[in-house]
Amino acid sequence: MATAPCGRLIKRGAGACLALLPLLFLALSFFLPLWQVLSQGLRVEGRWTTARLAQLLSDPYVLHLLRFTLKQALLSSLLSLALGFPLGWLLARYDFPGKEALRAFTLVPFVLPPITVALGFILFFGHTGYLNRALMAIFGLSSPPIKVLYSLWGIVLAHAFYNAPVFARFVSAAWEGLDPGLTEAARTLGVRPLSVFLTVTLPQLLPAILSAFALVFVFCFLSFAIPLALGGAKYATVEVGVYLYARVFLDQGRAAALAILELAIALGLTYLYIRGGGMFTSRGQVGRPQATVRLFSRPRQLLWLPYLFLAALVFLGPIGAVIADSFVRPWQGQAPTLAWYRMLLSPAQSPFIGASPRESVALSLEVATCAAGLALVLGFLVCWTLRRVRSALLEALLMAPMAVSSVVLGLALLFAFRQPPLSALGRGPWAIVLAHTLILYPFVVRVIRPLWQGLDPALVEAARTLGAGRFLSFLTVELPLLSRGILVAGAFAFALSMGEMTAVAMLSRPGLVTIPLAIYHFLSARKFGAASAMATILILITAGVVFLWEYMGRRLLRGQA
Amino acid sequence: MRWTFGVVFAVLVSGLGLGAELVVYTYDSFVSGGAAQAIEEAFEAAHPGVDLVWVAPGDSSEMLARLIAEREARGTEADVFLGIADVELPRALAQGVFQPYDPTLIPNLAHVPDELVFDETGHVIPFDHGYVTFVYDSEDLPEELVPQRLEDLTRPELKDKIVLEDPRTSSPGLSFLLWTIAHFGEEGWLDFWRALFPNVLTVTKGWSEAYDMFLAGEAPIVLSYSTDTAYSYIAEGSLRYRVVTPDGEAYRQVEGMGIVAGTDQPKLAHAFLDLVLSKEIQELIPTSQWMFPASCAAELPEDFARYAVIPARPVSLPPDYVAQHLEEWLSEWQRLLVGG
Repeated sequence: MATAPCGRLIKRGAGACLALLPLLFLALSFFLPLWQVLSQGLRVEGRWTTARLAQLLSDPYVLHLLRFTLKQALLSSLLSLALGFPLGWLLARYDFPGKEALRAFTLVPFVLPPITVALGFILFFGHTGYLNRALMAIFGLSSPPIKVLYSLWGIVLAHAFYNAPVFARFVSAAWEGLDPGLTEAARTLGVRPLSVFLTVTLPQLLPAILSAFALVFVFCFLSFAIPLALGGAKYATVEVGVYLYARVFLDQGRAAALAILELAIALGLTYLYIRGGGMFTSRGQVGRPQATVRLFSRPRQLLWLPYLFLAALVFLGPIGAVIADSFVRPWQGQAPTLAWYRMLLSPAQSPFIGASPRESVALSLEVATCAAGLALVLGFLVCWTLRRVRSALLEALLMAPMAVSSVVLGLALLFAFRQPPLSALGRGPWAIVLAHTLILYPFVVRVIRPLWQGLDPALVEAARTLGAGRFLSFLTVELPLLSRGILVAGAFAFALSMGEMTAVAMLSRPGLVTIPLAIYHFLSARKFGAASAMATILILITAGVVFLWEYMGRRLLRGQA
Repeated sequence: MRWTFGVVFAVLVSGLGLGAELVVYTYDSFVSGGAAQAIEEAFEAAHPGVDLVWVAPGDSSEMLARLIAEREARGTEADVFLGIADVELPRALAQGVFQPYDPTLIPNLAHVPDELVFDETGHVIPFDHGYVTFVYDSEDLPEELVPQRLEDLTRPELKDKIVLEDPRTSSPGLSFLLWTIAHFGEEGWLDFWRALFPNVLTVTKGWSEAYDMFLAGEAPIVLSYSTDTAYSYIAEGSLRYRVVTPDGEAYRQVEGMGIVAGTDQPKLAHAFLDLVLSKEIQELIPTSQWMFPASCAAELPEDFARYAVIPARPVSLPPDYVAQHLEEWLSEWQRLLVGG
């Protein structure tokens, strides 16, 4: 009689230990080194003090930086939402030719190095860019009509270009998981479509929207090269300050103090979201899949046209300009040429030692595939743990790898991979893969957590009543219900890894050149056309892999249903 | 069994000094230019069994920061650092990054003129030099607007026509800031910048962004290097982009190399420094790095000599003086930027 509860207790204890294992690993391999770097900001001559923080907070220039960084991050997140939400809607509710390709394509902005995005914006929206030249030719103007670059709005627009896909993907994944029964019930009761949307659909999408907002805000908050390139030094962000202290003045203490402020703000906002976001969690997302409608099957849907036109300008314009740039620069009077691609493909032309462009492509694919896979596993384990240990603070802290300054992240990774347990990996592709896993898993957590929280516990309970063990019920009930989230998280993790630079720069060994690194190599060697050609290859490969991953995933899902 | 064998073999080999490695940290564009490959081939031919390894996933200041951080963490693999900018020297010395070199092991040092030697403490040797100045698009900028004096850059006709690099994040950007301080003095440089800002279309993080923007036609004047005309002539046969040296001045950048303190390969490291200063390698510097060689023994290629500009009056400030005031100057510059 007495042994049964005791056995259950042991089993529970073992389960908890298993769940805490990933956290312990994270703590040792990442948070400890991160603390080693950041704690320099809290110590002066070996003594703990907040003097550095106080000093920073009383510096009017630092306050200006903080204010501006928050302001641009807020505006950028709002514009990303405004541009991304309709796209998510379109993907979730409508059918049109090329939909799956468009879905894959939405991740492209995410992988492009800032320098390529800046180039795309300059070539398309610049004073002498394609758009202005076209408008001047059409309307016979003598000066460029659109002057959005080199101002705050240029920065905000570029950030929206980067981050609107996050909203689009989060919203469409959540929307596709909604039970159509609810909206149908409301419609049957005579509620007008707009009211149905506002009172039934939107509240159910809120967790996904807020989750995306928390991420996008952090991305824009930490942005560095885009504000400088498209706004100018006047629009520097806090990250420029961290860079200045760490790299130029070699004052690690002050750099760390500023990075602590950055991290505190980013995590504070994430914490607020997690605390507040809980109340929006909706339940019961099971049922038939959402029915989709053919686009433009009704006249009212013509209202989509202005949006589609605008979205095409913002997304396709800069990307198209980069792709065009790999063939021709018309204003320089050249004929279109394949010379850059020929240069990339010829094995004789290996412009950087130890790695040809082809090897870069192979390395990027290997690293991104392994890192995305590992990040999915680690992210799931962390979510699993968070279901048992409910703590908003812990959940927010686990965002740290995404919320910390990239200069400091680089240092932390360097420390992490120089001491056990990670030093066993040495340096090389596996070090980069593991570093990427550490950077990517918070993303997986942010996608999976709201979905998992939204699952009706009754389902799991039912499965367990029927005799399924915890693991079996996870495998057969929860996992399939989370599969849309897994598809999205996997695609994003892959794209993030393809475009990542900080870890690559800190951990790479000779011969390990990823595609973004190759782009920088070409740029610094004045091979601007080759850089655009390499960026085009990055665009095609990312879109292709994401397309395949989601296409297969969706077919599997349909097979199950 | 085979595994043990391998280990024993590896230990033996490393004990014999075969299979040694010389790890050189440098900046990305040095490796993507042609000189690095030639250096590797020549070095490995002269030292059979030694592997020369380039590590260059960032620009010069990133690589130096990585080296310093690695030394703080658990030591570094780097034996040589190639490409330290003269302005970075005082900080690198303060961090003890380099060990003194032995001049008797570097005979080619004799060809380096004294005026280029920027480190008097005997840690860092120059290997090339270049000049930061303005480049303009001759098809876009009217002849009369080409800035002959630094003050010309503030003419109202040039509104939004200049692209600069950020002195906080890029080396040409910093060079220009120092140039204005050297030219206008500690009293006048801020006034110049106040008048200059309205003409600056944007300030970029690094040289690549700025030059790309210039080539895209966004602005007809860019802060760049005095070898750009030579580059576009030799690589593309074009003389469209021309160098101008306002007041006959341009800011001189000298790039140095040094042996990382605590290296286990001091002999090979010295041999490497000597090789980089050899006539053969130095003659590759102009058309691979688009810089001027440090060695007087090297002859310049004809077209390079014709179009690459050495200013009448090269400007430079002593690294120690810069190190003392840099923080104050950058803070003042930032304040002006936000206020104006």
